Amino acid sequence: MSLDQTSAIAMLYRRIGFGATEQELSSAVTAGYSATVNSLLGGLGQPDPGGDSVAPPSFEPVGQLRTDTAARQAYIEALRTNSRELIVWWVARMIATTNPVQEKLTLLLHGHFPTAISKVHFAQFMYRQNQLFRTQGSGDFTELTQAVAVDPAMLIWLDASSDKAEDPNENFARELLERFTMGIGNYTESDVRAAAYCFTGWQLDLRTGGFSISAADHSNAPQTFLGYSGINSGTQVIDIATNSAASARYVPSALWSHVAYPVTPKQGVVSDLAPAYASDHSVTNLLRSIVTNPEFATETTFSGLIKQPIEYVVGALRALSVTAAEVQAKPAGVLEVLAELGQVPFDPPSVGGWGQNTYWLSTAAALARWQLARRLSEVGDISTVADAPPRSRVEAVGQLLSVTTWSSPTAKALSSAASNPENLVTLALVSPEFVSN
Amino acid sequence: MNEVWSSDDVEPQATLSRRRFLSLAAAGVAAGGAASMLGPVLWDQLSRAGAAMGGHPGVLGSTTGRTLVLVTLYGGNDGLNTVVPYKDPGYLSARGILAVDPSTVLDLGDGFGLHPAMPQFHKLWTDKHLAIVQGVGFANPNYSHFESMDIWQTAQPQDPSGTGWLGRWMDKTGADPLRAVAIGPTVPTLLSGAKVQAAAIAPGPIKLPGSAAEVALYRSLAATSDREPPLLVEAAHSNADLLEVNAVLGPVLDKSRANPLHLTGAEAPSTNGSAAALAIANGGGGASAANVLSTQLSVVANLLLADVPTEVFSVELGGFDTHTEQVTTQAVLLPQVDTAVGAFLDAISSTKRGRETVVLVYTEFGRRVSANASAGTDHGWANVVFAAGQPVKGGFYGEPPSLTNLSEGNQIYNLDFRRVYATVLDQVIGVDATSFLDGKFSTVGFI
Repeated sequence: MSLDQTSAIAMLYRRIGFGATEQELSSAVTAGYSATVNSLLGGLGQPDPGGDSVAPPSFEPVGQLRTDTAARQAYIEALRTNSRELIVWWVARMIATTNPVQEKLTLLLHGHFPTAISKVHFAQFMYRQNQLFRTQGSGDFTELTQAVAVDPAMLIWLDASSDKAEDPNENFARELLERFTMGIGNYTESDVRAAAYCFTGWQLDLRTGGFSISAADHSNAPQTFLGYSGINSGTQVIDIATNSAASARYVPSALWSHVAYPVTPKQGVVSDLAPAYASDHSVTNLLRSIVTNPEFATETTFSGLIKQPIEYVVGALRALSVTAAEVQAKPAGVLEVLAELGQVPFDPPSVGGWGQNTYWLSTAAALARWQLARRLSEVGDISTVADAPPRSRVEAVGQLLSVTTWSSPTAKALSSAASNPENLVTLALVSPEFVSN
Repeated sequence: MNEVWSSDDVEPQATLSRRRFLSLAAAGVAAGGAASMLGPVLWDQLSRAGAAMGGHPGVLGSTTGRTLVLVTLYGGNDGLNTVVPYKDPGYLSARGILAVDPSTVLDLGDGFGLHPAMPQFHKLWTDKHLAIVQGVGFANPNYSHFESMDIWQTAQPQDPSGTGWLGRWMDKTGADPLRAVAIGPTVPTLLSGAKVQAAAIAPGPIKLPGSAAEVALYRSLAATSDREPPLLVEAAHSNADLLEVNAVLGPVLDKSRANPLHLTGAEAPSTNGSAAALAIANGGGGASAANVLSTQLSVVANLLLADVPTEVFSVELGGFDTHTEQVTTQAVLLPQVDTAVGAFLDAISSTKRGRETVVLVYTEFGRRVSANASAGTDHGWANVVFAAGQPVKGGFYGEPPSLTNLSEGNQIYNLDFRRVYATVLDQVIGVDATSFLDGKFSTVGFI
């Protein structure tokens, strides 16, 4: 069933951004769905003055591990501080952004190409990859994959930089095919091994972050990869993989799954998206064809996703006008709540990234959401709710949080809390409707 | 009444009787406004559930009085360097620089030795409380971490996208989220059913924010109806389940916080926040000094010492994907497993409940026999599974896979992992394994 225009636009803002303010929503409803899609997607590749106003941390230079115990310990401590600062910086940036679609796409790409600071160690490499997603993420997916592959974070994360010609390690080759480009079942074990040979000799200069291919460690033996013979370079492997028919379904299914509702590459809606994507590999155009697909603005999509914790926290902070500066002033708060919710940016649990939907609905997460909600209702700006007469407050909190429909049990619970605005906002923040995306 | 969890041999202050649990749980409900659908599962219902499943009435449907603790090692721990066939001449030649020095292994007999960083496991072996099941895996592996782990956790190799093998047990035996508890922010697939998801708790106390009146509001919010879409219902369930977790486990966690048990290497619980938060605070630029598995198992030990009515616990440790620098990585991780499991079993051995606990340690696959050129190993096939605890009959089970007859360089499995599950379903959970495993799998005999 199709959604009414207000619900569809509010959902659009949540799914490809971090939610609409009451003002944004009412202007967008006046402008209409198509115009709103154009205006939001128009931000891709454009500057982000709001986000740029949040300065990244200054990073400890790479390559100063000393043997002296005290100096070594101090250095490790500095790297840890950098990690924490980087995590808080990104959350602050997502709060301050005036180009939310670009920032949201950056987050989705981090989930698609997951790398973790716990192994990469150096926050500047995570930052560099993050900027890559931000600046090139909306362009050509093949070019993006090529760039990610030679970027320090991925080289460290999937061990490419220690690869040698004889007996290559298969880590990057396998995950490239399985997770990043094609999906399981579309290649053989010999394709994995052939690809691994092509990536031998790829190396990273830790001090400069520079990529090179060591001739001595690179295997020149021609490989057969996905039916193409005479292949011996990693660049060719990425090109073949991203141009495969399997990839033309896999990449759209991955993006659809994170913006609309989870699907496999075999599902019908992917057939709508695949041909256009195959013709240009444009992430921007893919995103546009997703949000303008007739299946998108439907009840199925509307109830198809739970907010990831980062979306939840950023969405709640933005709605209650908590500023980036306030978040940075108390970094432990946001670090703690994200850890308790199970999603710390720059620290996914594995190359599989994070789970979806019920994965986020644990009792531990319910407790963390409630604790956050209660703090926020005290420190955030809830004046539009508090200033409304009690009988209008349930509607007001819906406008504050951009929730267009309350289910009857929720509406009933909210009504009984309406005499106390803080209780009401707390309750609305932990409601199934706001926990949903 | 079947006193399977009688606590007559436990220190009184560390124990809460089942009756006490009931009253605590009931009090929690009453304080919050007595919405009956949110109340804990009643004992007679549980006993009926147990009887309906073919067992005699017992606590929470359990017919054995035993507890299962699952330790999931993510990344694919290299079993070949954990249980080392050090007398096999093929081992040294195949593993080359990665081979564990035969003079350092902890001898197990039959030509095998444990990795030298596992003295606690060796002591369990000597005490006949450690079973090592060899050659475990499943047919047609595809060497993907995620699909392999999904197969292990769903026990459905043909379509590993559905419910967890113990999630199905939870679905079938009542709607109680406390029947199984995962330590950490999220619930692994293995404990996710179609209707019921295990409770998840962070290390540290459970502190509901707000007054009794606010809790009552939260409770009314958690009420739901079938008209809503499934995800909204699930979200409401997680809120309702939290109240139940708080009612039953909250007092125990508070109590154990006053006199907490910290296993060796565990982080002290913070007063406000989880071990995960601490790990992040310590993370980046070097591994945290704390043993996160010990931190998780400390929580389980405290809950077991308080005799909570939970039959399955899940804990986990990651980082075993040793494509490079395998020797160094295993030298860090295996001692964490060894210390955590050893100290855990030791700590709970003073109680009957603890003496009836079985720890199962598994990972998604073994690793390639020959080393790659990055001083690591790639994804492989057959592996070892450990079962430890006093109910376990120590020794080797299954057949050690050949080091020479390989498939694509990998040791070939000869024992379906579902036989291990059948063994614990039968002997620890006390249910008919065929209901949960899509078929009949013979037990292995290690319990």
